[in-house]
Amino acid sequence: MDKKTVSTISYLSRLKLDEDNQDKITSDLENIIKFVDQLNDTDVNDIEPLTSPLEKVAKTRADAVTAENRKEEFLERAPKSNEDYFLVPRVVE
Amino acid sequence: MSIRYKTIKELSEMLKNNDISHPELIQETFSLIEENKNLNSFVTLNKENAILKAENINKESPSILNGIPIAQKDLFCTKDLRTTCGSNMLSSFIPPYSATVIENLEKAGCISVGKTNMDEFAMGSSNETSYFGNVLNPWGHNLVPGGSSGGSAAAVAAGIVPAATGTDTGGSIRQPASLCGISGLKPTYGRISRWGMIAFASSLDQAGPMARTAEDCAIMLNHMCSHDPKDTTSLDENIPDFTSTINDSIKGTKIGIVKEFDLSKLDNDVVKVFEESIKQYESMGAEFVEVSLPNISLSVPTYYVVAPAECSSNLSRFDGVKFGKRSELASNLEELYIHTRSEGFGDEVKRRILIGSYVLSAGFYDAYYKKAQQVRRLIKNDFDSAFKKVDVIMSPTTRGAAFEAGSKGSDPIQMYLEDLFTIPANLAGLPALSIPNGMIESKPIGLQLIGNYLDEQKILQVAHNFQKLSDWHLKTPSEDIS
Repeated sequence: MDKKTVSTISYLSRLKLDEDNQDKITSDLENIIKFVDQLNDTDVNDIEPLTSPLEKVAKTRADAVTAENRKEEFLERAPKSNEDYFLVPRVVE
Repeated sequence: MSIRYKTIKELSEMLKNNDISHPELIQETFSLIEENKNLNSFVTLNKENAILKAENINKESPSILNGIPIAQKDLFCTKDLRTTCGSNMLSSFIPPYSATVIENLEKAGCISVGKTNMDEFAMGSSNETSYFGNVLNPWGHNLVPGGSSGGSAAAVAAGIVPAATGTDTGGSIRQPASLCGISGLKPTYGRISRWGMIAFASSLDQAGPMARTAEDCAIMLNHMCSHDPKDTTSLDENIPDFTSTINDSIKGTKIGIVKEFDLSKLDNDVVKVFEESIKQYESMGAEFVEVSLPNISLSVPTYYVVAPAECSSNLSRFDGVKFGKRSELASNLEELYIHTRSEGFGDEVKRRILIGSYVLSAGFYDAYYKKAQQVRRLIKNDFDSAFKKVDVIMSPTTRGAAFEAGSKGSDPIQMYLEDLFTIPANLAGLPALSIPNGMIESKPIGLQLIGNYLDEQKILQVAHNFQKLSDWHLKTPSEDIS
């Protein structure tokens, strides 16, 4: 874990890190990764990964509309919206 | 007659006997909230609506929860009531709907009096990461209440409400229950719908009750569980009456002690309290069996791959577009995402998102995320073997009693190890609870009971039998605490 890696993953995370705090963040992340590196000592050959404790196939349901249209309620909670859309800064010049 | 420190069962009796009216009970609850404001256990109050509901309550309802004041962790969406998840990102978010578990409890007659403080996005073990400030532990105001459900734990421990909701991803119900001297239960993964819970790590998150007694946890659980088509991981299994077997004798019950939990590393006092509980259970006819969970020591590292990975995906939805905070600084869309997330999240949340992005990134996925999921299966397999021999597994809930705010220093791993005993049940998806079983230097500490899948009844029965013969759960912090 070096500053370049931290800069890459912070961009992947769409986070801008505090310049003054870079060393502390890098060393924290390095320590955490070192800590989880203990997992490397375990033999997991042929072990199927466990993604969820339930291991049940998700249930399907009829392809029918169950939700009502609540467009106005949702739009009014947005930081910026007009009567039909969520508004963001211009993306096409 | 004071309502302070009363259980659900006691308050329900008081209402039934007309010792107190429904509106009086709610008014008095708000007086207690006001008197204990310094604990900072509530982020938002629901006063007007709560009083209105009490005034218009159906007095004929047979539900034991009818009119009972409950505090809701601020991680559950509550329709038209601010829901912050302890974060600046959602500091003014008003959900358009309520979580299924909130609807279930309110349908049973519960009155939601307010939303409780918590570690930001449930990431923390001391309630020190909340945007809304630390919560104080009622047992000592220099102490943390634990986390992430710290506000819920403190509100119950201070006797303000008889019960509260919590959520538990790595110990966030059981650890604060232990540090605040109350009872708290994390059910089997999937027992309670996650719909309307703000997601942290979806394969680990589970809601549960926090209350003064195991019996009250059972009462709450009866009404919190449901099969919910809106949550694909919600279990479609029989939901028993969790109170129906709690009085059954535990004679002959086999309790497992984990060989690999090295108690010699704990303080003598913690070990002494634990051994006293073993003695008490032996005197009740329980049998102790040593069980081996060979991979249990890998639980915390496994968790700190799986949970951050899921958190980094779940929290990608906070981008400043559809709801929540939006930065004012952005001049284009990418900056909007970056500035909003950098301003909206606190340090611990950022740290976990970064770890998650790292372990999921190309080239590292197999080495970290896949590997952790493989070890996760080994841990689950260990529990499966152990539960062939025993009915429940018992351990201390925490490594010690409540610690002082700021005392874990700046090393995040020290805080992560706080959940050493609680994380395994989340990884395996097993039900587990914590009940108070002793005091160390006037501070409460808890006992953890882990049950087999869907066997909440057994751990509640074992816990209730303990509480019938002990009074740790009846102890209350002294009034002159500072």
